[in-house]
Amino acid sequence: MRILLVEDDPMIGDAIQRALSDASYAADWVKNGLTALAAVDTHPYDMVLLDLGLPGKDGLDVLDTIRARNNPVPLLIITARDSLDDRLRGLDGGADDYLLKPFDIPELLARIRAVLRRKGGSAQSLLGNGVVTLNLLTKQASVQDQSEIALSSREFALLQALLIRPGAILSRSELEDRLYGWGNEVESNAIEFLIHALRRKLGTHVIKNVRGMGWMVSKSV
Amino acid sequence: MDGFKKRLSESVQLRLSVALSLAILLVALVASVFAFVSAFEETHEQQDDTLRQVAMLYDRQHMTLQYPQGPALKGDDEETRVIIQHLSDSPPATGTTDEALPLPFPASIADGLSTVAVAGENFRVLVHTTARGERIAVAQESDARDKDARESAWRSLLPFLILFPVLLLVVGDLVRKLFRPIGVLAAEIDQRAEQELHPIEEQHLPSEVRPFVVAINRLLARVGQSMDSQRRFVADAAHELRSPMTALALQADRLAATELSPVSRERFEPLSRGIQRGRTLIDQLLSLAAAQSASERVQTTLSVHTVYRQILEDLLPLAERKQIDIGVESTQDVQVTFNQLDLFTLVKNLVDNAIRYTPPGGRIDLSVALTADGAQLQIKDSGPGITLEEQARVFDPFYRSLGTDEAGSGLGLSIVKAIADRTGARVQLAFTDALAQQGLCVTVWLAK
Repeated sequence: MRILLVEDDPMIGDAIQRALSDASYAADWVKNGLTALAAVDTHPYDMVLLDLGLPGKDGLDVLDTIRARNNPVPLLIITARDSLDDRLRGLDGGADDYLLKPFDIPELLARIRAVLRRKGGSAQSLLGNGVVTLNLLTKQASVQDQSEIALSSREFALLQALLIRPGAILSRSELEDRLYGWGNEVESNAIEFLIHALRRKLGTHVIKNVRGMGWMVSKSV
Repeated sequence: MDGFKKRLSESVQLRLSVALSLAILLVALVASVFAFVSAFEETHEQQDDTLRQVAMLYDRQHMTLQYPQGPALKGDDEETRVIIQHLSDSPPATGTTDEALPLPFPASIADGLSTVAVAGENFRVLVHTTARGERIAVAQESDARDKDARESAWRSLLPFLILFPVLLLVVGDLVRKLFRPIGVLAAEIDQRAEQELHPIEEQHLPSEVRPFVVAINRLLARVGQSMDSQRRFVADAAHELRSPMTALALQADRLAATELSPVSRERFEPLSRGIQRGRTLIDQLLSLAAAQSASERVQTTLSVHTVYRQILEDLLPLAERKQIDIGVESTQDVQVTFNQLDLFTLVKNLVDNAIRYTPPGGRIDLSVALTADGAQLQIKDSGPGITLEEQARVFDPFYRSLGTDEAGSGLGLSIVKAIADRTGARVQLAFTDALAQQGLCVTVWLAK
């Protein structure tokens, strides 16, 4: 994996470049927009990390130029500009994600992975949050790399709904909507019953109840 | 009286009212004296004319005189009657009554008008020599004449008596009305919140006041500019601090990923926490600057439960780390019209505070209820609460309660207050358990 890092701050650039190498990415670091455009033209990068406040040519202009040349390279904006306007211009301009400074290395790496996964378009066969992993093909779950546990189709559907966005709270009615079609009579405690069953199989800490709101699985670590 | 003088020297309105009233009074006085005198004289002249007409009538129609005998005719008033007699008929001036004619006029009266005292009364007498050579006297009592003239003169004063109070009322009302825009202006400026530095409406003001208002507007603009630049400085400074802080955090992350000796690891922990604290502070400073900026914000209809959910999703890891049981109590959702970011920031800071200051194993309850004029949001925790003495001060930036070792930014409640001040929301602090004085209960009222 070869990544182009466009960042004018020497300390940040250095830290990111080293962190990328630590994570086994090959990282090229350029410090202004014009060099960045030249680099993108000459090498096929798998990913561009783009700072917006660049000397010479602004990051958003660099983004526009790259996209204007029909270059589909995955691009992640890393910036200190937090105004909604900048964010929208970045995402509408063709960036794949927008990461606000200051950020942590693990978060940057997670975002890079997510963008690559989305761009790759690979049908994901595994959903997980670091605690529980769900195999979409076999419909089996495993907790912290233990052996796989078979789930009923309703249990699978419920866990899948929660794992699509780990950290998000889903209310009872939202879960019911995702599990049962229209016209199906849903028993009032059906969701509690499924959660209880899942907890017995996977452990009580896997699915968390948020009082008055619903259920969730922890955010990916 | 001293108080009145002081007010008179200070109040333009009072001075104007008093001066105008005095002027009206003076003019009315002069005019009425003039009217009185001229009406009086006018009446006398008319009466003299009457005497002259009677004399001419007598002369022209060659009338003869016959003095009345016996009782007076009905309707003949002795006081106001006009007498006509031959001057030569005047008896010797010994009579003491003017009842019986002829009257004792002295024969020496010259032709023309004169006032003569006869039998103890003044008479206005016209002596006329007729074509036949007779001298006749036409006379009327002066008292009666004067009485008529006075009545007529007083009647001429009537318009002034009506006009004077009416004018005073009109002037008073007019002056008050003219000065009302100034009072309205003062009330409008008085009601402004500290953020409202928009210029004062000067279109409908009198041209005398307008330069003053224009000057105030210029001052407001300058104050606004300087406040803006101060806020911008805070925002810019926080913004600029982000880059070095990012670099620091990234380097620390890399250090954490390497093999560290137990001693280094132990010393690295506080360093990492310090960096985290710096990042939080910068974020909160930016948030405060944003909350204080007076820019227009889009109002949308929001579900409070949805906002609660987003905040719980954000802050649940923090609560879980302290094993705090956090949840939503209310079952009924409420819709409010508010700026989404404002409501999110406001509630998030309150919940964040609650998590920070609630000891491990504690409990936090969020709730929302519909009230007559809006929504009431409540965040209750089982922490130590905030004492009554401190409740007013905790909204000051960087204020921290004594005896807490929490590494908060000290800006959370300032941000809450800035948003509340700008949007008209009301925030109240109380104890969750009022008897034991334990736990913080924050109530926020949002207008509909």
